[in-house]
Amino acid sequence: MKIIEKIKTNKSTDNLTEIQKICLHKLQSSPLPNPKSELWRLSNKSKLSNFLDYSVNENNSKFDIPYPKNSQSTVRLIIGENFQIKLIEKNYSIQQLSENELQKYIKEQISFFNQNENWSYLLNLSLSCKNNILGLKINGSKIPPIEIFSHASSNSLNAKTLVIFLEKNCNVELLQVNLGQENSSLSQSTFFCLKENSSVNHGVVSYGENRSNLLNSLNVIQQKNSSYNLGSLHFKFNYARFEISIKQSAGNAKTNIKGMQITKKDEQISTYTKIEFNGPNGFLDQINKSLADDKSHAIFEGSIIVPKIAQRTDASQLSRNLLLSNLAQIDTKPQLEIIADDVKCKHGATISQLNEEELFYMRTRGITLTEASKLQLSSFFEEITSFIPISKDKWDLLDKLLNEN
Amino acid sequence: MVNENLVKDVVKEPYKYGFVTDIETEKIEKGLNEDIIKLISQKKEEPKFLLDFRLKAFKKWQKMKEPDWAALGYKKIDYQDIIYYSAPKQKEKISSLDEVDPKLLETFDKLGIPLTEQKKLTNVAVDAVFDSVSIATTFREELAKHGVIFCSISEAVKNHADLIEKYLGTVVPASDNYFAALNSAVFSDGSFVYIPKGVTCPMDLSSYFRINSGDSGQFERTLIIAEESSSVSYLEGCTAPMFDTNTLHAAVVELIALDDASIKYSTVQNWYAGDEKGIGGIFNFVTKRGKCLGKRSKISWSQVETGSAITWKYPSCLLLGEESVGEFYSVALTNNLQQADTGTKMIHIGPKTKSTIVSKGISAGNSKNSYRGLVKMGTKATGSRNYSQCDSMLIGDQASANTFPYIKSQQPNSEIEHEASTCRISEDQLFYLQSRGIEFEEAVSMMVSGFCRDVFNQLPMEFAAEADKLLALKLEGSVG
Repeated sequence: MKIIEKIKTNKSTDNLTEIQKICLHKLQSSPLPNPKSELWRLSNKSKLSNFLDYSVNENNSKFDIPYPKNSQSTVRLIIGENFQIKLIEKNYSIQQLSENELQKYIKEQISFFNQNENWSYLLNLSLSCKNNILGLKINGSKIPPIEIFSHASSNSLNAKTLVIFLEKNCNVELLQVNLGQENSSLSQSTFFCLKENSSVNHGVVSYGENRSNLLNSLNVIQQKNSSYNLGSLHFKFNYARFEISIKQSAGNAKTNIKGMQITKKDEQISTYTKIEFNGPNGFLDQINKSLADDKSHAIFEGSIIVPKIAQRTDASQLSRNLLLSNLAQIDTKPQLEIIADDVKCKHGATISQLNEEELFYMRTRGITLTEASKLQLSSFFEEITSFIPISKDKWDLLDKLLNEN
Repeated sequence: MVNENLVKDVVKEPYKYGFVTDIETEKIEKGLNEDIIKLISQKKEEPKFLLDFRLKAFKKWQKMKEPDWAALGYKKIDYQDIIYYSAPKQKEKISSLDEVDPKLLETFDKLGIPLTEQKKLTNVAVDAVFDSVSIATTFREELAKHGVIFCSISEAVKNHADLIEKYLGTVVPASDNYFAALNSAVFSDGSFVYIPKGVTCPMDLSSYFRINSGDSGQFERTLIIAEESSSVSYLEGCTAPMFDTNTLHAAVVELIALDDASIKYSTVQNWYAGDEKGIGGIFNFVTKRGKCLGKRSKISWSQVETGSAITWKYPSCLLLGEESVGEFYSVALTNNLQQADTGTKMIHIGPKTKSTIVSKGISAGNSKNSYRGLVKMGTKATGSRNYSQCDSMLIGDQASANTFPYIKSQQPNSEIEHEASTCRISEDQLFYLQSRGIEFEEAVSMMVSGFCRDVFNQLPMEFAAEADKLLALKLEGSVG
């Protein structure tokens, strides 16, 4: 059954959780987001409607993980694989959240971030069934690196939800890999809560294949003295959208974001970020890079909100874009909304192509044009790829970006 | 934290242009419908093409919705509760300034606007618009010697109908936006400037807008045409009396620059901003746009926005001609409960076009100041460049400053750079200046004018001095 029919007919209401019912009900009145709203107006309408064309896949087929597990100490999880997680070691514990805890927590976060009407969440939460929700509570010290995979199989829509609770004083490296097979759609929602003094290096690598689509949304609550580092990379999707909402619930926290999206052919990839400071002394350093080639379209919209309470916030946001073709386009919109007066906030944006003088210099030194542009691109990419945890020793992302596309 | 008590201890400098001139005026009844538009057109003895233009615009306006995307909050405007035409009663034809009602001359005198010919020394030609009509234009003969046409738009409709018909609505079409459509339907007066080929206008031109009656809106329209290789500098000033009701001002300004022509348009906007409780003040919804049609043409907007309860204004440049240049320099100051959503649009269409944006926003009191801009590189804009810089300064912890730059590029052979920062008057700097014996308020004012210097440098000299003084006045006491 196509999703649109599932939404409209809403046959199997009995098995649904309360959240699913609410979300489904909202989708019934408007199955697609309002194209006039600021957040959706740049999205390609026909690409977006692809999400509703497939049928929902609730049973997960086996898939091959693209790179081997080369270290025993890494914890590898695949959302949708039915297993119980209970790792209790001497120093740390990783445990699954109970269903009630999950429901309660998701509800709280959605309303805390005022995402009640956000289409990405409505679609995800109305369709992700019990098997496809993974909730983890992480505690302790010397926690091994964690890898979490989400994948979408061909000709279907796969909705997956991940909830991570990081207890006080925890420190963890976590890599999330979203894979889309040919002609598939993946709706991935992630909810993070960082308790006091905890810190996480979070990597998100979303890697599609021909005509695959992705809706990836991420909610992060940061408590005092927590530190959240995000390195993200999205490429090879017909349509991909990455929504990030971060709230420093009492300020005094650090956020570092380095994201990149690469579009070729007629792809459209967008990143929307919203960072709110709900207390003083917050810190943010954000950089978003886009590269658009062929007939593709890359979009970045980032807003930073500094209310009166957030005195002494230090926030900076940079959007750097490379436009490599006459038919490609780039939209970027960095935004600042500031009420507190004792703050340092700045943003910058640039759009250009590869620097001709640098290219010329390298060519005079006997480097071919192709090699020279590759060198330039690799320096453009590396700032981001080197920030993505775990991946660097196993998966040569840089090589993939430079040679595969 | 700078001493908060001082912020609260706001010493109010009264709005010195807030007086009302008691003069007999001719007003038509309130409300807006086709008959009113016909009546305005009839009163102004307009040709048919203009009436058709108005009626078409009105039809479009009726189908449009008031925009709500700006970061502004204001009570709904009742468009039927506004008088769309109000003119001071005076003799039919004025051949010289001596025939202008002395009360009117006195009004402009009080505002510091030289209308009487003795004040020729200032060497600025002025078109003075009082409510809905232009009452006088100075230095016309002198200008005519150079072939420059500078008159009110109503006169231009009568005497230069061909030019009006050719250019009116070509830069800002009637259907452009809600307020432009309203203006196109009911505009009453404004200025018209035509600079012939190869002429550098011998003096600065200026128009001065005065709203006098509290229940009539002001809808003026300005059209400036610079022919090949000509240049002109145009200044615009505005004030209004203090009323506790809100008055609507919806203007349209169209500039056209042909090959090698340059137009510099400077505004010091000082409409009444309402009192500290936010009562009264002008709602200022203005559409200003320039079209660089010719090769190497240049349009430069500079503005100092200090007045109005609500400001909604985005002076823009359409850069069509090869190597044409657009500039936007702006200082927007908001205090008390003022709200400003202002910025610019630079649309690069032709190749090798260049644009520069420098915007300085200062928010004090409980005000809200937003920069909203668009830079767009079209597919043919090869070798084009844009540089934007938006700085905000916050004074006090109740004011808000927002930046919304939209950047869109479809041309890889172009470069766009944007930067924005937010700061406040730092305690260290204040302390330093004070320790050198500079009074507190003077120190603040020095820092503010330093902050705005990039923009003031672009203003014509007498405007720059006025703007500097105006900012100091407006901020007086609001800094703590």
